[in-house]
Amino acid sequence: MADPLSCSATDLLPLLGGAPNATAAATFICSRFSAVSSQLSAATYAIDNTYLLFSAYLVFAMQLGFAMLCAGSVRAKNTMNIMLTNVLDAAAGGLSYYLFGYAFAFGITSGSIAERTQFVAYLIYSSFLTGFVYPVVSHWFWSGDGWASAAKSDGDLLFGSGVIDFAGSGVVHMVGGIAGLWGAFIEGPRIGRFDRTGRSVALRGHSASLVVLGSFLLWFGWYGFNPGSFLTILKSYGTKGAYYGQWSAVGRTAVTTTLAGSTAALTTLFGKRFLAGHWNVIDVCNGLLGGFAAITSGCAVVEPWAAIICGFVAAWVLIGLNKLAEKLKYDDPLEAAQLHGGCGAWGVLFTGLFANKGYVNEVYPGRPDRPYGLFMGGGGRLLAAQMIQILVIIGWVTATMAPLFLALHKLKLLRVSSEDEMAGMDMTRHGGMAYIYHDEEENSNWSQFKMSRIEPRNTSTPDPTVHL
Amino acid sequence: MAAMSCSSEQLASLFGPNTTNAAAAADYICSQFTVVSDRFVDTAYAVDSTYLLFSAYLVFSMQLGFAMLCAGSVRAKNTMNIMLTNVLDAAAGGLFYYLFGFAFAFGAPSNGFIGRHFFGLKDVPTSSFDYSFFLYQWAFAIAAAGITSGSIAERTQFVAYLIYSSFLTGFVYPVVSHWFWSADGWASAANTGNLLFGSGVIDFAGSGVVHMVGGIAGLYGALIEGPRIGRFDHSGRAIALRGHSASLVVLGTFLLWFGWYGFNPGSFTKILSPYTSGNYYGQWSAVGRTAVTTTLAGCTAALTTLFGKRILSGHWNVTDVCNGLLGGFAAITAGCSVVEPWAAVICGFVAALVLIGCNRLAEKVKFDDPLEAAQLHGGCGAWGIIFTALFATEKYVNEVYPGKPGRPYGLFMGGGGRLLGAHIIQILVIIGWVSATMGPLFYGLHKLKLLRISEEDEMAGMDMTRHGGFAYVYEDDAHKHGIQMRRIEPSPNTAL
Repeated sequence: MADPLSCSATDLLPLLGGAPNATAAATFICSRFSAVSSQLSAATYAIDNTYLLFSAYLVFAMQLGFAMLCAGSVRAKNTMNIMLTNVLDAAAGGLSYYLFGYAFAFGITSGSIAERTQFVAYLIYSSFLTGFVYPVVSHWFWSGDGWASAAKSDGDLLFGSGVIDFAGSGVVHMVGGIAGLWGAFIEGPRIGRFDRTGRSVALRGHSASLVVLGSFLLWFGWYGFNPGSFLTILKSYGTKGAYYGQWSAVGRTAVTTTLAGSTAALTTLFGKRFLAGHWNVIDVCNGLLGGFAAITSGCAVVEPWAAIICGFVAAWVLIGLNKLAEKLKYDDPLEAAQLHGGCGAWGVLFTGLFANKGYVNEVYPGRPDRPYGLFMGGGGRLLAAQMIQILVIIGWVTATMAPLFLALHKLKLLRVSSEDEMAGMDMTRHGGMAYIYHDEEENSNWSQFKMSRIEPRNTSTPDPTVHL
Repeated sequence: MAAMSCSSEQLASLFGPNTTNAAAAADYICSQFTVVSDRFVDTAYAVDSTYLLFSAYLVFSMQLGFAMLCAGSVRAKNTMNIMLTNVLDAAAGGLFYYLFGFAFAFGAPSNGFIGRHFFGLKDVPTSSFDYSFFLYQWAFAIAAAGITSGSIAERTQFVAYLIYSSFLTGFVYPVVSHWFWSADGWASAANTGNLLFGSGVIDFAGSGVVHMVGGIAGLYGALIEGPRIGRFDHSGRAIALRGHSASLVVLGTFLLWFGWYGFNPGSFTKILSPYTSGNYYGQWSAVGRTAVTTTLAGCTAALTTLFGKRILSGHWNVTDVCNGLLGGFAAITAGCSVVEPWAAVICGFVAALVLIGCNRLAEKVKFDDPLEAAQLHGGCGAWGIIFTALFATEKYVNEVYPGKPGRPYGLFMGGGGRLLGAHIIQILVIIGWVSATMGPLFYGLHKLKLLRISEEDEMAGMDMTRHGGFAYVYEDDAHKHGIQMRRIEPSPNTAL
């Protein structure tokens, strides 16, 4: 890094001494340098804050994307319900002081338990997840004090390495995915998802347009999520030439992100064509997102060609986990546990294999000779640390969220009644349907077209034939 | 701009003979200046990278806009198909442009026709090209391929789509962008050796390079595969096959507008560049002006279309206005940085009329383009190229393309006819190159029966026959036939 500007009049004076009014000359010169230094400092703050703020706005766009993805993936009768969970997700996230990822772990989880979960359960688990479970994990891996952090400032790094989870394949995606896994597992599959012979029946989402729209918005927002995790852009690395600095690493991170997602999408396209016989845009979108979830961990520390490998494998991990889920009769409407949990875990391992020496030392400076990717000649210690991350996240999230979901289940606060599930939660709990494509006819029996007060009754479901 | 170079020897010699240690004093002072200079250099790189990256993200968001525009413009039964083409566009483009597209386009040093360095981003970053530049150019490349998909929507086999899209993004488009945008390109206005007609072509953000390429490719695809079933009846009268969602069309259009603020102003690739030292006017001003000309052209085109169609067809039509708006943007894209804002108003006005005229012509010759892509991008793009050659101002041209004083500029601004000559060449050459590459490709696909889908598939809709089911399921009906996604068995009648 460039030397700091430090002009000291007392140092300069003896060198000028003898020149008429040398003191004044030295003071004059140094004060100008001081002014320049202040201006440069101010410029740096302005630039870094601009960069970070705009990255944050992009990350916020992911809320919109996830809302559309969820909405499109569930049946029309549950659209309002799931979108409300997404809005609250964003609002709750806004109240906390984390800009990144805070609200996402919740969003991911809500996908797994969509279409059959009581709203009160959402509120309880989301507060717990975002208020406690997730922050503890992010402390372990991202804080300067965290026991497993690669950026740990004093003391030993875990295995001399620390965990490299740059933007959160583990911290965000695995946490959300594993939490979702427990929720979906404890409350069981949606009615009709597996028939009596155990065969799986696709409960299709109601709008492929919303799924694609949501996926593209998530892709767009990921450019804030991954490169933005550098937090600052104005930093010279002092290697390779003046043109190379943290700004290059930021750009490279956007490129690795793009390549992983693109490769995962293409792999899924052809993989599903081969396995299922048709071209499926929904599957391609999920594959795309799996690629992003995977590259999130190592996006800053791998070469672009490695990102292609990451995406390729992520696509197969997702396809495989979906097959497994079907076999085990596990129902996750957004494939969230498989995508975020599974591809997230792959991403964590991938980083332990492909992290490049130069990039690791740029992104986590101050500890030369630290371990890096196994396949890049960096030994096995980073991989070992990454494995610890996976185990510890699974353990922690299980120990916290599983008992919570179990307790909610026992208290009958988790799943909605089967009448509510069949009618759809928008109708029974959110005041009416999300879509009204035909104007009411005069003598219509379809009372659900009017948004109106839902009177609490003894039974859990209002009588749908009553004109409200 | 004054250079920040401090020479210790020079400074030391200026100190009086009473100075204790002139050399050391000079060194001290000069080293401080060196630090300052380095910090400024870093600052400029950071600022410019931020600017370019965020512009790239905006251009990427146009994919989303185009996906929504396409989805809304086709019938519901083909929605999944067209959206998949848009997703694949971006994904396949990512891979191929990384592997070789970027190299063909910007590989340097190279000849005037095609680049031959930076395959797989080898040797990047350099002092001229960083990752942010690659990402920005990738976002442009996938835009071009997206345009073509609109012309052949609702009746094209998915495999044909994969083939033409890879070829367009990986080869046809990069070569064109090399000619007009690379410093080595034979027709580029930034060519350091010889300029075409002493001028070079000014196609700042790609009315020709992107819009005409995409539009002409689409023209061939749509021409060779013919109109959709039912588009022209037995008496030859045109029947509107309306898209299924005006909301998606408007949403998509707005997103494209939003993204255009990355597409046009972002093409400066740098923002921290003073034109004269210490002045409030610098490249940042030109960037802002470019955003303004973009806005004015689109707005004028939209309003002109609104009233034009009201007169011609008797009603206020939001989808036509959206198309007019986009035509205005496609046209201003060539000259957005080198014309005055008032000229952008003229650009948009004429673009609207060009689009209406091209649509009439299309109807007359029974050309069916579900997104009007060939008319909009091809037609309005070509108008934009001509417009630039008429209205480019001397001042702006020399700011944006410095280093060759006395160069030609807009005909109507007193700059002579050589820029217009170069631009006419651009139009001819793009039409020729795209015809020579995409024409035979589409024709070959057609001969191999890989281009158009069967009649039964077209009537049923491709989502049903090839994509596993309909895009929209508004009623929960586990028992209704056809709603379930299931394995599609290939049948002897339906092609791949």
